[in-house]
Amino acid sequence: MKRRLVWLLTAFFAAGLASAQTPGDKQPSVIMAPIGDVQVKAGGSTNVSFDFRIGPDFHINSNKPRADYLIPTVLTLSPSEPVAVADVQYPAGEDMSFVFSPNEKLSVYSGDFSINTVLKAPANAASGTYPVKGQLRFQACDRSACYPPRSIPVQFRVTVVKK
Amino acid sequence: MLVVVIMGMLAAGKYLDRSRKHGPIKLVGDVRNVPAPNFDLPTLDGRRVKLSDFRGQAVLLNFWATWCPPCKIEMPWFVDIQKQYGKDGLVVLGVAMDDTESAKIADFAHEMGVNYPVLLGTDQVSDDYGDVRSLPTTFYIDRNGNIVSKAIGLLGREEIEDDVKKALSAAYKPVSQANRAEAKVKSARVQEATQ
Repeated sequence: MKRRLVWLLTAFFAAGLASAQTPGDKQPSVIMAPIGDVQVKAGGSTNVSFDFRIGPDFHINSNKPRADYLIPTVLTLSPSEPVAVADVQYPAGEDMSFVFSPNEKLSVYSGDFSINTVLKAPANAASGTYPVKGQLRFQACDRSACYPPRSIPVQFRVTVVKK
Repeated sequence: MLVVVIMGMLAAGKYLDRSRKHGPIKLVGDVRNVPAPNFDLPTLDGRRVKLSDFRGQAVLLNFWATWCPPCKIEMPWFVDIQKQYGKDGLVVLGVAMDDTESAKIADFAHEMGVNYPVLLGTDQVSDDYGDVRSLPTTFYIDRNGNIVSKAIGLLGREEIEDDVKKALSAAYKPVSQANRAEAKVKSARVQEATQ
């Protein structure tokens, strides 16, 4: 419930910012839902999902864009030891094309998308709370223009508990 | 008298404060008929190019980047337009706004068959042209160095050609040094008024 409220408030402010801008001056918005309490047992692993929302009318490249020259969306996490990243799973992109080049398909995310990760802690990890910092790097476009690559910060805590 | 002096000092202070806050005056708002800011930028092949080198010719100044799919769609059109209208006095200039090594930009331009100079953009030139953030952004500049049109985002080829024709249609009027200085002042006033 609390998470939904934060989503709504964040989206409301993002929409207000977007509407205050003039055409050509708009900036794409990508926001992340807050990460709740993350707990992992020493010697075990846990799934953590990162939920992102892209502002209306914008899209960003998927993690596997269809051309080398495009900038993929990448989530980078740097957890404090002993927490480590075991896996990062990106969603598949959706196909889209620009009006003047209908045959050239791009692989993009738009609206809401989630990146699923697995965090782990070794068996000898000391109990405690460990910060995780990171960023989501993306490059956004709308139906006619593109905007320079940007990053948004990702920050949360992982609590390691004994088995 | 004292009131006039105080008013003058306040006005000067306000101007200086605004200059400190905003830096040089930028090209914003309706830029038609405003002199295009000059620049001196390196090309992919190691030369330097100034906009003023092309006085007497119309210039299509296209800000683009390798990561920009709509820019890629326009490039073959610009290649054709350079071939078609070059004899009439059109020069296409690409300004790459990539934050990457020039070799990668050169490979991309080569792959796209680009037949016009590609310049390496800077924050300064972006600022001078009104903080170019959306790509592609294209300025159409007439033979006298004045902006005829500005297009943000991908347009159709016909619209691009219409703007090229507008840029080519103005007759070249060589201006004296004094007239050029006057035009600069006029440009600054127009830009300030739009802020």
